[in-house]
This record gives sequence, C-alpha cells and structure tokens, in this order.
Amino acid sequence: MSDATKETPGGLAVLRELPSNVWNSIFRGPLPSTDLERSSTSFTNFFLHIHPVKVNRNTLRPAYTLGLGLISLFLFLILVVTGVLLMFYYVPSTTQAYDRMLDLRGTVAFGIFLRNMHRWSAHGMVAIVFLHMCRVFLTGAYKKPREFNWVLGVVLLLVTLFLSFTGYLLPWDQLAFWAITVGTSIAGYAPLIGKQMQFVLLGDTTVGQEALLRFYVLHVAVLPAVLVLLIAVHFWRIRKDGGLSRPEKPADPVAATGIVKMRKVYGLQGFVRGPFTKVGNVPDDSVYSWPNLLMSELFVFVLTVSVILVVSLMFNAPLEQPVNVMHPPNPAKAPWYFLGLQEMVSYSAFWGGIGIPGIMVGLLLVTPYIDRGTKGVGKWFAKERLMANTIFLTLVTLNIIFIVIGTFFRGPNWTLVSPF
Amino acid sequence: MRLALAIAAFVVLIVHGVVFYDQFFHRWERHQTAYFEQARSLSKNERERAELEARAPRIEQVIVTSFGDTRVDRCTTCHLAADDPRFTGHGEPLKTHPYSTAMGDVFRDGRWERRHKFSDFGCTVCHDGQGRGLETKYSHGEDEFWPDPLAGYVTQANWRKDFAPKLKGVEYMESNCAQCHTATDFAGTPNVNRGRKLFYAMNCYGCHKIDGMSEGTLGPDLTEAGKKFKIDYLWESIVEPRANLDTSFMPKFNLSEADVRSLVIFLKSRRGVNFAETSLDRYKAHVENVAVVIPPGTAGEKAGEQLLADRACTACHKLHDKDGGIAPDLSYEGLIRDNDWLTDHFQNPRSRIPDSIMPAFRFPRDDFQRLSAYLVSLKTPPAAAGAETTYHDLCMRCHGEKGDGNGKVAWYIDPSPRDFTKAAFMTSKPRERLVTSIKNGVAGTSMPPWGRMLKDEQAGAMLDYVLQTFTREPLKELKPRNLPEKNPVAGSKESTAHGEQVFLERCTGCHGRKADGKGPNSLDILPHPRNLRNSWFVDSVTDRRLFESILYGVQGTAMPSWIDYGLTQKDVGDIINFIRNINQKSGSPQYARN
Repeated sequence: MSDATKETPGGLAVLRELPSNVWNSIFRGPLPSTDLERSSTSFTNFFLHIHPVKVNRNTLRPAYTLGLGLISLFLFLILVVTGVLLMFYYVPSTTQAYDRMLDLRGTVAFGIFLRNMHRWSAHGMVAIVFLHMCRVFLTGAYKKPREFNWVLGVVLLLVTLFLSFTGYLLPWDQLAFWAITVGTSIAGYAPLIGKQMQFVLLGDTTVGQEALLRFYVLHVAVLPAVLVLLIAVHFWRIRKDGGLSRPEKPADPVAATGIVKMRKVYGLQGFVRGPFTKVGNVPDDSVYSWPNLLMSELFVFVLTVSVILVVSLMFNAPLEQPVNVMHPPNPAKAPWYFLGLQEMVSYSAFWGGIGIPGIMVGLLLVTPYIDRGTKGVGKWFAKERLMANTIFLTLVTLNIIFIVIGTFFRGPNWTLVSPF
Repeated sequence: MRLALAIAAFVVLIVHGVVFYDQFFHRWERHQTAYFEQARSLSKNERERAELEARAPRIEQVIVTSFGDTRVDRCTTCHLAADDPRFTGHGEPLKTHPYSTAMGDVFRDGRWERRHKFSDFGCTVCHDGQGRGLETKYSHGEDEFWPDPLAGYVTQANWRKDFAPKLKGVEYMESNCAQCHTATDFAGTPNVNRGRKLFYAMNCYGCHKIDGMSEGTLGPDLTEAGKKFKIDYLWESIVEPRANLDTSFMPKFNLSEADVRSLVIFLKSRRGVNFAETSLDRYKAHVENVAVVIPPGTAGEKAGEQLLADRACTACHKLHDKDGGIAPDLSYEGLIRDNDWLTDHFQNPRSRIPDSIMPAFRFPRDDFQRLSAYLVSLKTPPAAAGAETTYHDLCMRCHGEKGDGNGKVAWYIDPSPRDFTKAAFMTSKPRERLVTSIKNGVAGTSMPPWGRMLKDEQAGAMLDYVLQTFTREPLKELKPRNLPEKNPVAGSKESTAHGEQVFLERCTGCHGRKADGKGPNSLDILPHPRNLRNSWFVDSVTDRRLFESILYGVQGTAMPSWIDYGLTQKDVGDIINFIRNINQKSGSPQYARN
C-alpha cells in the first residue's frame, strides 16, 4: 500500500499515536537489533555519529587505554556545566569576588557543592590529561600516522594547565593571590619578552583588578573556546588517523592470497585520502560501536561523575583569608602543578622557570618527528621502545619528584622541611 | 560491566540524596522554628501570635554601610531573639543581647532603647566574626583562615594552646570600640588606653612605627598590626619575640599578663584608618613628622636610677644583675664614658656609633641629663683581680667565652667584636696598637676605652692573657715596610676624583658603592668589611695605617694586598684622599638624623 492511499488517521487515533509519533520523530529508528540497524544508528544520530560504526576490539580493552582520554573529556564537561552555574554568582571584582565566595559557601543553594565539584574536577583534569599523555607515549601511540594528533594533545595539555591556572586566581583569597603572583613571576623570567609577557598577562606590574578581569575572561571565554576547538580537532583526527592505535595484526591470509577478489567501490569515502575506519564485511577484529563502545563510555562517565561527587561531598574547596597584599604567606606557593617549576626556579630562575620547561615542551612536540621507528606500537612498555620509554619515564619521574619536593618538603623561606 | 555500572549509578544517586538533604535542611531553620514556637507561647498578643504562626524560616540580614566597607551581617538568622527582651534568660543562640547603661542603652517607658542599634551597626562591627556565614564554624570565624574570629569568644583551632585561654574575654572587643571612640581617655576602652601608655612607657615606640604616634624604624611598622595579625600572633610576638623569627632582636619584656593583654588589645585596634578618621586625617598622620613627647620621669635624688628602671633600659642592656642580653653592660659606664659622650649618644646613638641599632628615644632633655648623671656616677670598678676574671667581667659579653668574637650581644653590634682566635690578624699587628685599642677603645665602635679602669700593666696583662688563651701564637716580628707617615698625595679635586674612580672599580664589591661596608660580598665575609663612612673611626686612623691596610692587606680578613693587584702609592694616596673627603668632620650633620 502506497502512502497516497493510506488513510489519514483522525480523532482519537491522533491522540493515541501522539507519544509514538513524537518519539519516532526524535529517534528515527527503533532500538537496533541487527547489524545494519546498529550501523545506521551510529550514522544517523547527531550525537552518536562522532563514533565509527565499528571499533577495533583493542580500543575497548580497559587495560590498554585506561579510559584516560574519556575521563578527561567528561571532567571537562563537568567543568563546563558547574562553571556556567558558578558564573551566575561570580563577579570578577577585587572588592566583591571574595564576598561572593563566602556567599557560595554559606548561602547559595548547592553553592559550596558546585564550587567543590569545579575545583576538584579542575585538579583532576590536569592530572588525568597528564596521565593520558603518559599512556599515549608508553604505548607508542604517537607514531605515524598519529604524529599531529600527539602535537595537538601536547597543546591541549598546555591549554588545560593554563585554564586551571587562570581559574586559580578567581576566588581572590590569599592562596589565589600569592600563587598567581608566584606563577606569573616565573613567566617574567623569560628572556627578552618576559617582563612584557607578565605585564600583558597581569595588565599591571602586580596582581590586581586588571589581572583578575583578564584571568576571568581567559578562564570563562577565551581558553574554553580554544579548548573546545582543539578537542574537536583531536577527536576528528582520531577517526581520520584510523581509530586508536593498536598492535599490528599479521596480514589477513585470505586477502593476501587473493582468492577473494576485492571489488572496486567508489563511495563518498573513496575520496578520502589516507586510512579510515573500515565499514563493510571485510574480515577484521572489530565490533559494533552500538552497544559495545557506548556502554564503555557510559560506564566511564558514571564512574567519573560518581568519584567527583564523592570527593566533593567529602572535601571542601579551600578558601583562605581575603587578600592581604602586605602580608604574604611564607612560603608563597604556586598551584601544585607548577610547584615543580617553582622548585626548579629556586635553583635557577631562568633555567628552572623557562629553560628546562621550554626544552621539555619542545621535546614533547617534536617527539613523533624524531622517533620514527614503527615497532612497538599499541603495546605498553614494548621492548622495542625501551630507550624512548626510559627517557620519557625518567623525565616524568624527575618532574613528579620536583612537584613532590615543592609541595610537601618546602617550608618557610623555601627551606627543606619534613612533612612528617 | 552492567553490575559495575549499576553500582556507580547507585553511588551517584546516594550522593545526590545526601547533597540535597544537606542543602535543604539547615540548622538555622531549626533555630528559627524554635524561636517562633517559644515566642508564640510567650506572647500575650493575639495578633503577634497569628503573625508568628504565619512566619516561615528565612535568612535575616542587616546591611551595614556606615562603617567602612559594606558589611552583610546575617547573624540574626540564628540569633533571632537578640532584640527580643523576653528571651533574656534563654540560652544561645536564642538569647536577648544584654542591655547596658554603660553602652548608652536607655530604659524608657518600660522599654529598653539601644544606643548602638543593630539596624545601624549590625553585629560584626563590634563583635568581629564573618557576617555572611550561616554555619557556626564559618560565621563565628572558627576556621583558621578567617582573620577576625568573634573577639574574645572564639579561639581558632591552630592557635597556641597555652595562649588560647588568655585570649578570651569581653575586653578584647575594646579594640573595635576604639575604631570610633578614639579619645585616649575614653572610659569604655581602659585596655586600649593602658596599652597606648605601655607602648610609650616600655619604649615600643623607639623601634616600632605607628602612623601619628611614633616613627621607629628598627622593628616592623605596626600601623596596621590589627588588620594584619590575629590576637594569637600579637600575644606570641610580645611574650616570645623569637617564636616567629629566629633573628628577631626584640627584647623579652617580662610584662605582667594584664599588661600583655592591654598591649594586644591596643595593637588589635591599630587598623590603619579607623571609622572616626577621614582619609585626609589618615594621610596627615602618615606624613606628619611625629614629635613623640614622653612625659618627664620622676625628679629627685634617685631620679636617674628610677628612670633607668622605668624606661625599660635593661630590656636590652645589662646593669648589675639585670640583663636584657642585647646591648652592652652599663655597670661601669662612669669609668668608660663621660657626660658629653653619654648625652650625645642618648640624643642620637648614631652620632657616636654610626652603626648602632639603639633607637633614638624621645625623652625630655631633663631625663637624658638625669640618666647621664646617673650613669656617670657608676664608677665602682670590679674588684681587682687577675686577667682571666677581668676578661670574664668586662670582655666576654662581646668577645665571647672562647674569644671568638661571638659573645652574647655580638650579633647586635656592628662592627662585630674582634675574633681573637684568628691568629693571622692578631699576630700581624704591633703590640702597641693592640694595647692602644684596649686602653683608648676603638672610636666609632662599641669598644670602649678601658684605660680609666685598667692600669697600663693590667692592659698589658690582659693582652697577654688573650694572646695565650685564644690566639695561642706569639706576635710576629714585623718586617719594616716602606710606608709614609703622612699621605704624600696632596688633597685636590683631581686626586679625590681619581680615588673615587679606583674605589668604584676595585673596592665596592665588599665595601659597597656607598663605602658603608655593605657591598654585595659583605654578608659572606667575617669580619665584615669596614664601614668607611664611620667618621669617628676613619678620623682616628692614621694615614700610615690606611696605607698599610690597602697596600699590604689586612691579614686574617678578606682585605687583600692591593700592591699585588697593581695599585701604586699614588693610587692609594688618591683613595685615602677620597675616603678622608667623605668623612670630613666627626659628628658632621650626616649622622645627626639617621
């Protein structure tokens, strides 16, 4: 029966069919039950079509990715949501910011909880993004053809650090004020443009109203926009670079012998140069994204949210005394992720603050272009990558040691103290 | 996987439940409901009962704009009965704030009327605490980060346990009263008034600056002490000056507990600008050259002795059995200094010892004269004894038990007392010079002339004792050196200019660009480089000695032999002209105000 001859329902039937009509207009198909429907769900849903239809089994192995990239993304989403809600209450003014913090803590419904979630997610994101980078390095996942995505990842780490750093000032308490004073004076050690850079960042020679406004705008508008854009490119490149890295499988014996003749097909994807995730009946080691990938993602999401919720319930975000420009705490410490820098700065201002960190970031950026070997991809601590992994782990460990010393072992006048 | 997912989802649910409970059921709501009920049962008025019946809990607040920055005081959210006279006998938080005629409250027509209305003053203007908070911990300022916890009621958890009990009591609120009631004799602030008197009487003003009150520079500026520090810190700083800074040389003033409390309350009332001042007043106080006038001390026969005790001189100095442990012994002052020296030194210690840390106290002239007269009368020498006992009595306080120049008060004395264990220095000087130093002292330093107390042979014996006990090497035979007695280079503009140029090139690393002995290397060098602007010292030194020290160096110190670095007699002569030129007259006005 063609559509033209189909009777238009009327009266009660309209009402009866209303729920299913609304439902079907939003979700264009039923819950998929066949492979075709699974593919089509991934393809036709706006939110799902960022996924490939099929993913390699290796991608889903928790022990391979540890879900770190996803956790970073979900933390970012939590940060966006809580951050927008906090923006309703916050005023970037030196006379009001701290009072607003007190109101958030005491008077605003869910205020303290929102602040806790935002604070702890921000710290968590810095840590997780860093760990994500370690995972990618240690599994050799930055190798061809994923070089550029690694570079993007390094930039994302820097943007994340800067986002966290700009947010650190906003409560306008002693902790914030002196941490930013220390952090920005590290920037001032850069040769030639250091002082100018510091001035542009602060809008003044010291941390004050101008700095607060600048950090606020960077924190709520500029940097999140940059981060969203870069994340989009990062994800796009994952698809275009052929999905997540995985160990190379021995060539398919069936295809290799040429018994099955590959038919030449010119679809839209035929124009896409380079590797892409295969769609079709070619024998491979992949499973449908729906439901396998989605379930994993949902699990990581719920897990991330529940951890952040529990932590936010148990620990309150710190709020120290209001800013007192004349009374610096001793020692004044930068945020923890910059304490490694501060510790190194205590040995040499230029090398600790600019030289060594600059070299480290430079090394990270060029790593995929220097390390051109193709062996050992997709395996944790592959034997073939012993040297690269050792160098990387040494640098990471050194960094962590510096951060630990700076955080726990430095007392008044930056002298060594025992935390025990 | 599904099980784990379910568990995680369950956790999310539970946390949401807890958070919602937490955010919707507040302690203050319970207090308010209790108030409504109790007030209803106390009320004899039908209409009021109906009103109370209809009231629902809500956040109460007073916005205070008349006292400094705008304050938001939400205290009455819990303390709802503060202005309700029916709750006088109840417990906190539902208790009437007491009425007091001393505070200006008036009982009129059977009703109390407050002088300080809550609607105008709020609560935190007098009580401190954090007005915006709604939880006891935060609103009372119990968390360690809040700068002003409820004055006299709350001590924070990280405060020192031995002080905490002393920091409670209504009198601590006086520091807030004094923000408006600034009269120095205001009856409501006895502790602030007493603290202010103690600030002068105990000589605090000599070292500390408070805008409009004093201008000491030796210790920290206390103009905003009340804003910067909590009472716990203030108390600790007074009774244990070194608790926070090991290098602090503030004396321990063994004050009574009541005195310390008054000082703490007084200091807590120092907040820079107070409510009673305009910003113009504040500015005037800041730029005004305060002439502190200290009321004269007691007159009469024992006036000097009495003054010495009243003015807390022994907080630093030693006099017989009283010893502050910071400054020299005054017990034999009459034998080593005369009246002129003492009067000069009193009026400005740096006019005689340019690097002295002693504050210039602003006593009336009569007081200085009485003090000098008393000190000059201290002429009883220690009982004649052997060199060892004499060293112990006279020298050890500065030069140390081991003769290493590290005596009890050495740290506070500039230039540092000589280290006798440095044999290279001690043995390279002619005997006459060492004896002269003992007998005539060293001008411009804390080394006094002992000649009026020690006879020649005693001074000689003392030197022998020092050389044998500490130096442990005999004096060297000194090679005769080709040194002019008088500077052969005539003083002229060119000579001084060349001398300055050489000085700037060669000497500033240690002696500093100002020639004050404080060059960048000076900290690491012991003994520290000479302050070449110390006119008393420079004038007392012969050209010959300057020539020798520069050309051949000073053994046992960091001063090298400049003849090895290519300085000629002419260069050295120019340098000496330059040094003499910047020290033209002893007691020149350059030290008059320091």
